[in-house]
Amino acid sequence: MKRKLLILSLISLTIVAFRFIDNPLIVLPKIFPKPVYDFSKNPLSENKIKLGRALFYDPILSRNNMISCASCHSQFSAFTHVDHALSHGIEDKIGFRNSTTLMNLAWQSSFMRDGAINHLDMQALAPISNPVEMDESMIHVVSKLQSNQLYTKLFYKAFGDSVITGEHTLKAISQFMLTLVSCNSKYDSVMRKQTSFTEQENNGYKLFKKNCASCHNEPLFTNDEFRNNGLSLDTSLNDYGRYRVTKNPSDSLKFKVPTLRNIEFSYPYMHDGRFKKLSQVMNHYTNEVIKSKYLSPELDKSIVLSSNEKVDIIAFLLTLTDKSFLFNPQYFYPKEIFLESAKD
Amino acid sequence: MKKTYKLIFISLFFINTSGFAQTNTLKINITPTFGAMVLQLADSLFNANDSTQLQVDVLKFYISKVQLLNDGKIVLEEKNSYHLIDASELKSVLLPIENKENIHFDELQFDLGLDSTTNVSGAMGGDLDPTKGMYWTWQSGFINFKLEGKSKLCKTRNSEFQFHLGGYQQPNYCIQTLRFQITNSNVINLKLDLKKILQQIDLAKTNHIMSPCLEAVLLSKIVANSLTVIEN
Repeated sequence: MKRKLLILSLISLTIVAFRFIDNPLIVLPKIFPKPVYDFSKNPLSENKIKLGRALFYDPILSRNNMISCASCHSQFSAFTHVDHALSHGIEDKIGFRNSTTLMNLAWQSSFMRDGAINHLDMQALAPISNPVEMDESMIHVVSKLQSNQLYTKLFYKAFGDSVITGEHTLKAISQFMLTLVSCNSKYDSVMRKQTSFTEQENNGYKLFKKNCASCHNEPLFTNDEFRNNGLSLDTSLNDYGRYRVTKNPSDSLKFKVPTLRNIEFSYPYMHDGRFKKLSQVMNHYTNEVIKSKYLSPELDKSIVLSSNEKVDIIAFLLTLTDKSFLFNPQYFYPKEIFLESAKD
Repeated sequence: MKKTYKLIFISLFFINTSGFAQTNTLKINITPTFGAMVLQLADSLFNANDSTQLQVDVLKFYISKVQLLNDGKIVLEEKNSYHLIDASELKSVLLPIENKENIHFDELQFDLGLDSTTNVSGAMGGDLDPTKGMYWTWQSGFINFKLEGKSKLCKTRNSEFQFHLGGYQQPNYCIQTLRFQITNSNVINLKLDLKKILQQIDLAKTNHIMSPCLEAVLLSKIVANSLTVIEN
């Protein structure tokens, strides 16, 4: 009898423990470090994520109700603006940077190519009010949402209050973005010892660790820092990156090191989308790096790679593609939410 | 059963009348003025340095971390202490004080603006809600102090001047801590004299500050020095 009791209590303890470790609403991969985002200040809930997903896909956030977050952040391209060097927003106005991918955002300490945004919750404010993106004001967004029955219902379900605030709007968008976790690429399966690299991928992995991993470090494939990677200044844009935020000359031409996860689908590359192909990126690092005072020290010494070695690195980079992320139905356009409202 | 009701009633009566947890409220009024006059928004009655007419359209600022002190020691610290003072809808800052008769204070202290922790804490509600128009959108951070208006001295579109002061990182950290000698009363009246502020700005040269910078820090100091206690 005692033994049965002991076994039963052990089983229940295990169930309780797993509940704490695995939040069913978001995957926190074991190989990832501790998230930067403080979930205690915005605890995840199914209804808040649902609301955030509706807001993410709804053009109601823009002045003319035509542009949504998804306009520049499509799921199939790892939530970036595929095929455009510079992203375009409201009335086809052209922005001055290539939009960033959206994934594993709970592990990022700053946002945008220049880190101008210091918290995920405040990120959406920037595109909402940028005159070439959504050209809207937060106060008007809140008033539009308040007069929309779908949203008064969704906000009530999410926050227990149908009075809509800027805080709740931003926190809901954060909740959806936090669920965008990519951790099921071939690379991840290899790390979990479920499969193995081909010879070529393995060689690429070794070369990657030697030449690229000091900035694009595993498992997030970014060190979350700002670096000058030796790109020439595009004088039609005069984008000095991080310098724009800090006004510190040592930050001139520094940009956030992007993650390389899903890089196969997130072209074009660099802050201004100047490279369409990964081979061009490889050639930049081996032949075209412009030496300057604040160049990332890792690039002081030229990277030497043969053509075959470049191909091997690219083969490894393709193992970072995570189809279960790119085609995860939980991130799709939420037609069921919008259809439900159309019926009312 | 009846006895139980009686007992509950008697206990409630004692809790209610026993005197502990008595809360009084200290009222802090901040009145924007232009010299001796109370500020009227969008009223072009005011004279700047050289008698040119001037008008103020927007005046909004944060005060935070409100504290009462006695002999230099904190005797009361308001929790979640954030207040947006908006000249278009002036409200008193109400500070609830438990057992006020037992608390003596001779100084009031608060910050003009918000500290760096608040600036990096994500979305917040109430007076800190991003719909209040006091948060920069292109770059994270609160605007501590917003003053907008018109002056013929400004060779700008519609003769406008705009001062949005903020910045939470050194060397552009704008927050100012202010301390005032006060009497132990129920109401504290302060005034922010815009004439004093605008007299120290050459509007012909400096007519807009819109991002964290050293000029914003300097101007924040000028604003802080223009906030004074109204003697009763």
